[in-house]
Amino acid sequence: MRNIKRALGLLLISSLAISMTACGSDNAKASGKTSSDEVITLRILENDTAKQEGYLDELLSAFNEAYKDKGIQAVDANMEEYSNLAENGPYGYGPDVLYQANDKLMSYAEDKHILALNREDFECADLIPEEAWNAFTIGVNGNKYTCAIPVNVQEPMLFYRKDKLPENWETDWDQDGDKTPDFLQSWSSLYQLSQQIVTESGGEKYGLVASCKDLYMMAEFDFSYGGYVFGKDENGLTNSEDVGFGQGDAAKGMLGLRQFAGVMNEECIDDSIAQNRYVKVADGTYFCSISTPDTYVLFHDRLADVYKAEGCSQEEADKKATENLGMVELPGKMPADGDLSKNGDTVETVVMGGVNGYGISAYTEHRDACIEFVNFATSREMITRRAQILGIAPTRSDVAQEMGGTTEMIFGSLSAGHINLMPSVKAVDQIWDPMGTLLSDVAKDAFREKKGETVKYTDEASMQEALDKASKSIYDAIYTLSN
Amino acid sequence: MRKERLSETVVTYIALILVSFIFFFPVLWLVLASFSASGSIYDYEGFFPKSYSLGTYIKLFSDTQMYDYPSWLRNTLFVAVFSCALSTVLVILTAYTMSRFRFRMRKPIMKTTLVLSMFPSFMGMTAVYLIMINFNLINNLWSLVLVYSAGAPMGYLVQKGYFDTISNSIYEAARIDGASNPTIFWKVTMPLSKPILVYTALTSFAWPWSDFILPNMLLKNRDLWTVAVGLTHLGETEFSRFAAGAIFIAVPIVILYFSLSRFLISGVSDGAVKQ
Amino acid sequence: MKTGNIKTKCSYVIMGLGQFLYGQRVKGLLYMAVLALYLWYLVTSGIGDMTGFFTLGTVEGDPWLGTKGDDSIIMMLRGILAFLVLIAVIVFYLSNIKDVKNTERLVEQGKTVPGFIASLQAFVDKKFYVVALFLPVVGVAVFNILPIIFMILIAFTNYGGDIVPPKLVDWIGLENFIQIFSLTGIKDTFVKILGWNLVWAVCATAINYFGGLLLALLLNKKCVKGKTFWRAFPILAYAVPGFITLLGFKFMFSYGGPINYYLKAFGLQAVGFLDIDAGWKARIIGLLVNAWISIPTSMLLATGILSNMNNELYEAASLDGAGRWKQFTKLTLPFVVFSTTPTLITSFVGNFNNFGVFYFLRGGLYLDGYFLASDTDLLINWLYNLSIDNNYYGIGAAVSLIIFLITSVISLTTYVNSSAFKKEDTFR
Repeated sequence: MRNIKRALGLLLISSLAISMTACGSDNAKASGKTSSDEVITLRILENDTAKQEGYLDELLSAFNEAYKDKGIQAVDANMEEYSNLAENGPYGYGPDVLYQANDKLMSYAEDKHILALNREDFECADLIPEEAWNAFTIGVNGNKYTCAIPVNVQEPMLFYRKDKLPENWETDWDQDGDKTPDFLQSWSSLYQLSQQIVTESGGEKYGLVASCKDLYMMAEFDFSYGGYVFGKDENGLTNSEDVGFGQGDAAKGMLGLRQFAGVMNEECIDDSIAQNRYVKVADGTYFCSISTPDTYVLFHDRLADVYKAEGCSQEEADKKATENLGMVELPGKMPADGDLSKNGDTVETVVMGGVNGYGISAYTEHRDACIEFVNFATSREMITRRAQILGIAPTRSDVAQEMGGTTEMIFGSLSAGHINLMPSVKAVDQIWDPMGTLLSDVAKDAFREKKGETVKYTDEASMQEALDKASKSIYDAIYTLSN
Repeated sequence: MRKERLSETVVTYIALILVSFIFFFPVLWLVLASFSASGSIYDYEGFFPKSYSLGTYIKLFSDTQMYDYPSWLRNTLFVAVFSCALSTVLVILTAYTMSRFRFRMRKPIMKTTLVLSMFPSFMGMTAVYLIMINFNLINNLWSLVLVYSAGAPMGYLVQKGYFDTISNSIYEAARIDGASNPTIFWKVTMPLSKPILVYTALTSFAWPWSDFILPNMLLKNRDLWTVAVGLTHLGETEFSRFAAGAIFIAVPIVILYFSLSRFLISGVSDGAVKQ
Repeated sequence: MKTGNIKTKCSYVIMGLGQFLYGQRVKGLLYMAVLALYLWYLVTSGIGDMTGFFTLGTVEGDPWLGTKGDDSIIMMLRGILAFLVLIAVIVFYLSNIKDVKNTERLVEQGKTVPGFIASLQAFVDKKFYVVALFLPVVGVAVFNILPIIFMILIAFTNYGGDIVPPKLVDWIGLENFIQIFSLTGIKDTFVKILGWNLVWAVCATAINYFGGLLLALLLNKKCVKGKTFWRAFPILAYAVPGFITLLGFKFMFSYGGPINYYLKAFGLQAVGFLDIDAGWKARIIGLLVNAWISIPTSMLLATGILSNMNNELYEAASLDGAGRWKQFTKLTLPFVVFSTTPTLITSFVGNFNNFGVFYFLRGGLYLDGYFLASDTDLLINWLYNLSIDNNYYGIGAAVSLIIFLITSVISLTTYVNSSAFKKEDTFR
């Protein structure tokens, strides 16, 4: 019947435009049909880094080997990593299982494009802390549903050069004597170090230079002082009507950011830094920069390139780069009054973070097989491999403990509430551009005086006003037009 | 008199060199960037990379696990060649008809197409996507060919302007000789329209090369992407690969131009012969 | 006489039957086949599609429960299609009546009715324009008109925001338009952006047009040797895909880019060409970058047109002693303007709706006093922010409808009053 339809359709297209509907949309799902004795094929959407570093291949072949007899087979969905499930799924073009960050996954959950899952179906469930689960919880009609399985935590990290530490750091930069430089523990100290580097080098070298317009990297200047993205309602669910960037002493924190931008250079205002940080840290122009842990390999390779250019062999260069490149969490203390030049009272740093995990498309035809796959992919072995290959910080407590070091630290920060997770609602899409604009304006303000332009943010009041305006425009973007 | 000519020639050439530099420099820069050894553009001394290597081009064609450039190139070529052929036929046919014939619906059609071309195209993209779902043509390169060539006649005005300058007496003479309209089109009009044919072919070939909104929407599988889509999805630190990919798809258009340029300026040289 | 009338009337009832009875078998059968196909289509899906257009779905699906509901947007599209097909069939039906009347007249006059091949040949010759325009019109109808109708209709629905499939979309009349004009934030933004958009479109079109023309004239000069060689440079620029050029230029003007590198090397302050308070700096850079991208195309076009110019006119003019400037203003310019007015309008519209330049150069900025937009954004960028980035399809469609009305009124009046439209045969 379908063939006849199509043949007729072809006939018609040459005579009239009628054919279009004759073909009909009912055969859109031509690809996914399987009968009981055939092999079930699952299409897995992973992120590009996992593909590039070979983790996906390893995962797929391990799974296919284990499930050879059960008639399940997993393949790479072969799509773009952020391809829109809402656009593809309903018509049969989406993946079956997708790995993504919580904001992305949960915006699908709001429209029920990914399935609600039963935690008990997953072997890893008890090992994952409640904070991580919360990122994948959604409230529908007063009930809470879990829509994805957490895999790893993401937060901005400080990348620095161990070989470029000030020679006298043990005497001058370790006031508390804990054998860790103060500037890796306190933002004030990091600021003072940066200032010193800039003055000593006559503006040739810098301490910290980071992307000031990037909310994800810079949110600590807001969150540590009582600011937040969205509030919670009485059921503990995200309430996007309450936009909290201007709450608490956030204005103080933002003045701190403005102050810090003053010892960076203008490249922190636009996209330049986001791309040149790897090179500039490698060639020693910047002592440190901020980025996500998955970019470790980029910093590392650039640094190795530098050593190679100096005449090292590939192996030597790699070894040296590994030795000299440090990756730690952002300094844990910020000045309570926002003034980085003094060493007064401090508050604890709260950064923005995200949880990545596996979701299952609501349009899959093999729900149980998908659950099997996610179970396999979140097993102890696979998560360990993932952590080894990709350097991620797993949400599985057993693997985090086993890995130790930074991995365990990140895991600890999540449990201790030092990571403020991106809210898991669609409305979170609206925060990036308004806040990015504000942050870049604040950073730019640090350079205005030098150029003879009028300075905009001189005191807390003006800063508070700007924060309120940004929060208002986020609110407007979410609510003005919704019916 | 002679001196005047000479100075004018000098001024002309200075202007030419200046203009060529303006157009050439960014392209040259892109070419140099594609040969940069480090891959990033942010470690340059001003405009120029610190060190050069062929590595990027080798990577472009050999490292296909993530970014399958050879496939993208094949897909793009396929789409561009077929859209070019179909679009050229449709556009020329439309333009010629609108220029040569007078019929009742003519002016309404002219006005309608003008108004239609004013609609911001991406607003209709959702509809195009849904149509293609109905056609079951998602992940199919023909869908692109179809959309590009179906939309092409909307841009017939340039070609019509050209046909408007061809003298009516030529057609009347042919008509008196008993030629039918299709014959006139093939035997009389076509030979006269080489420059505009080449212009049309060139532009309709170049469009699919650089468009990425449409293929990005209609092609889901990575190995079906066109070069433009693929390049926009390259990692942020892959600038030299980006540049190399861009240079490589510019080459066919430049070759096409050189091989077709004599047609493009045939009118000019005809005039010279007459003198 | 009488039988003729009955035969003719048969075609009123069943398309093609009359022709068949008059002995035009093949033609009659073809007409009837079309009718049969249409009826088959109507029964299988046409009627459902047409009713679906009005209801936009009644059953809401729930992917969690696996229930498949109605997809309002698809229903709307199929509904529009069903009506388009209906129109096409009506046109066909009318042509059938006209045709059968013709045949009737021939029979009355006692002439022989032409066979299928003969009438086909006659049709192709006499109505060459119908044959030639058939495919273009069908293509444009399906891939341009249908999406536009679709978008226009979306403006009258509540599609967008929270109402996206699987939720059902509904017709809401003029509510979107009322919202646009009642919310001051949106209205102010609209007015501001529209003003800048008009300035941009006029400047960009003028720069590109005259830039291209001057370049073509420069290359056409007799004293220039190796024209192909010189012309290759703009072609090179043209050959590199636009978005790559744009990203390249963005980098050049960024704080870490080469221009600021040289500024700093000369001891000057770095300049934020495209940053948050760049304002007119960014606008002018946008114009120049756009010129760099577009001038090669308009040069190609002008070259093509100049090559078609009658050289004898120039010879006559120089014999008359007309100066070079006079030749340019009296001969070249009118000729070029005449044959490019329509292009000028298309290029104006193209620039008016130029999405890429500011999306790539300066995207992601929302400035004070603008609702989801920045001071360099054109209406189309704003539309993109509204409808794609923020999912307000209904509002976006309403805004685009308003823009659409403005631009079409401007360009239609210009076009209808232009000499290229009024006196098409001037240069024949």
